[in-house]
Amino acid sequence: MNPVNISLLVFMIGLYGVMSKNNLIKKIMGLTIMNGSIVLFFISIGYRKGGLAPILEKGTTGGIPTTIFVDPLPQALMLTAIVIGISVTALALAMIVKIYSKYKTLDIQQLSKER
Amino acid sequence: MGSSKIIRTIVQKLFPFIMLFGFYLISHGHLSPGGGFQGGVVLGTAIILLALSHGIEQTEKKFKSRWLNMLEKLGILTLIFLGFLGIFFGWSFLGNFLPLGKPGEIASGGLMLPFSIAIGIKVAAGVSAIFYALIKYRGEI
Amino acid sequence: MSIHIPILIIISPLLAAFLVLLTRKYKIVLATGSIIISIVFTLTLSSRVLSSDKITYHLGGWRGPLGISLVIDGLSFFFSLIALGLGLLVIIYSIPEKRYGRTYYFLLLVSLSSMIGVIYTADIFNMYVFYELLSLTMYLLIAYPKTGVTLRASFNYLIMGGVGLSFFLLGVGFLYAMTGTLDIFHIAEKLPAVFNSSTRMVLMSFVLIATGMGIKIAVFPLHGWLPDAHSMAPSPVSALLSGVTVKIGIYCLIRVVYTVFSAEMFFLINSHNILMVLGVVSLLFGASMALAQKDLKRLLAYSTINQLGIVLIGLGIGTELGLTGALFHILNHAIMKSTLFFCAGIMIAETGTREVQGLNGFGRQQPVITFAFIIASLGMIGIPPINGFTSKWLICLAAVEAGYVVLVAIILMASAIAAAYYFRVIQVLLSVPLKQDPMSGHEGEQMIHRGNLFRSWPIYILAAGCLLLGLLPTLGISLVKPAVSFLLSHAAP
Repeated sequence: MNPVNISLLVFMIGLYGVMSKNNLIKKIMGLTIMNGSIVLFFISIGYRKGGLAPILEKGTTGGIPTTIFVDPLPQALMLTAIVIGISVTALALAMIVKIYSKYKTLDIQQLSKER
Repeated sequence: MGSSKIIRTIVQKLFPFIMLFGFYLISHGHLSPGGGFQGGVVLGTAIILLALSHGIEQTEKKFKSRWLNMLEKLGILTLIFLGFLGIFFGWSFLGNFLPLGKPGEIASGGLMLPFSIAIGIKVAAGVSAIFYALIKYRGEI
Repeated sequence: MSIHIPILIIISPLLAAFLVLLTRKYKIVLATGSIIISIVFTLTLSSRVLSSDKITYHLGGWRGPLGISLVIDGLSFFFSLIALGLGLLVIIYSIPEKRYGRTYYFLLLVSLSSMIGVIYTADIFNMYVFYELLSLTMYLLIAYPKTGVTLRASFNYLIMGGVGLSFFLLGVGFLYAMTGTLDIFHIAEKLPAVFNSSTRMVLMSFVLIATGMGIKIAVFPLHGWLPDAHSMAPSPVSALLSGVTVKIGIYCLIRVVYTVFSAEMFFLINSHNILMVLGVVSLLFGASMALAQKDLKRLLAYSTINQLGIVLIGLGIGTELGLTGALFHILNHAIMKSTLFFCAGIMIAETGTREVQGLNGFGRQQPVITFAFIIASLGMIGIPPINGFTSKWLICLAAVEAGYVVLVAIILMASAIAAAYYFRVIQVLLSVPLKQDPMSGHEGEQMIHRGNLFRSWPIYILAAGCLLLGLLPTLGISLVKPAVSFLLSHAAP
């Protein structure tokens, strides 16, 4: 039950949501859940047993630390990934607002029947 | 879209502190958890909180959407300009050309601080502009 | 200053994009000027790259696995020329349309800048970031005329593209977990050691990355977004999408397969067979669906699936001839499909209908545009003096050489089906209308005189390019040679 397995499980749940829900907003929720699971995956990869947060305290020089820090690189990468997820979600929600104002429905089966 | 008097009063009192916290996150990005994007989102959230409690028309009188769009464009142009300054001073693009101070001070880390400030302003303007655009459609539906 | 050229190629359209938002009068000048600057910069690098040298540029001065580097070798150079050249022609084509405001040029310039970013970067997470930026601008460009159909098509593309790039990111996560670095060349050094110890994780990451890129390339089971998105977009955007954006997915696939996972691994896990099977299925599926279409742009969109199947077959064969054919077909398809979409844009604007049957008599009104359309469609079918024939011939030769003779039969059959649906369109174009419609003739006269120069010159240039590459095939192959030699210097199948 390590975090990697849990994040893959949540990824599959998000993928199920995108594929099989008919409502457009539920599809966006599924996509957001997938992004969240990837964030969880990356952060759990960077974990080192007994590691501290990767912040140097005031007063230390830039020498090689003898303590164990968790890996800071996945955390920085995930900031970027969260920003991208927000942008895609914002764009999708704006499109949903426009689609609703034109078609008065958010069901994808009915939308695909429109011509 | 206003709220009750209690919420409006508390939001008015809390707003400067939330902005202060946002600026703290931006300026201490290279020392503690935080940075440009996080501080910018907190600043944007402060403006969204104002819009939710006081109504969008009153908030727009104070934080005009034209200013927010202009700040957004200025933010990215500042970023590219800082990158070009890196080339101008002889390093590569986005190279560090400011002096590295003592680690642990705010004015250390070279290019990180101006970069974080530019990103923070841009993200704050961007998040608020997205919120304005999404909320203003309520009348058209 | 000349050492900073790689980053200036990416920054110049990006800077111009944000400057375009500030002005209204100078938007077109800024747009074309920045792309011309980027093309000039790219061509100045050509002498160093074509002599099989690799140009590396470290952003921020951080070397090695610590920082993000840009690398320009034969493969990146080839793709970036396609992207920039087609970008310039798309901008010129969209000049006479007065409805395109500052946002349209902003989105075009950001998309071109992020295309070059995807192509040049040597950091696999940076590739994901630029690819998401490219996809975001494409979602907005497809939905630019905010009608109902374009919004639905763009939303469909958004969902599938988002899922695809999430798969890609998860694959990148597995790669990072195994090797601890994100630079493409460092991962390639460290991966063989990891492959022997934990084979399954390497396979898992390869499958995830390949599936993610497969959604963006629109191979057969994952193609659902392509017909709507490419047909409902405005015509210059359709040309950019079909011509370049799907090719960026193929570039990422090639880069990940040949540089990160070395080609031995590619053949070891039998993925070249899977690639060939998928190519064959895409080929036949695209051809059959295109035969049944009544809408002109949807027909061209399914034809894209068709031709990309051929590229995947060439990639799957994997020998030197196969790779040369596949890369050359990417160049040819970009030129030909852009010509077809540009012509389709003019046809739809002038006859007012999107159906093939409504194009009656267009050939009599605009003979030169019809001639360009005929040249490009002959190239798509694969008829000798045009460039499409050369690349299909190379792939068939590679198939015979590698022993897959069945593939040649399937490619020929698909070319015959392509001939069927393209000749149907040409027949309608060249026919005489049954009754004289006074209104359409009057409007046709008006549209001919209005802004036709900017729309027709890209078509002439592209059609001339088709003929040129067809009559001088060695010119095209010499463009592709550095890319293939770079790929094969890493490979030893």
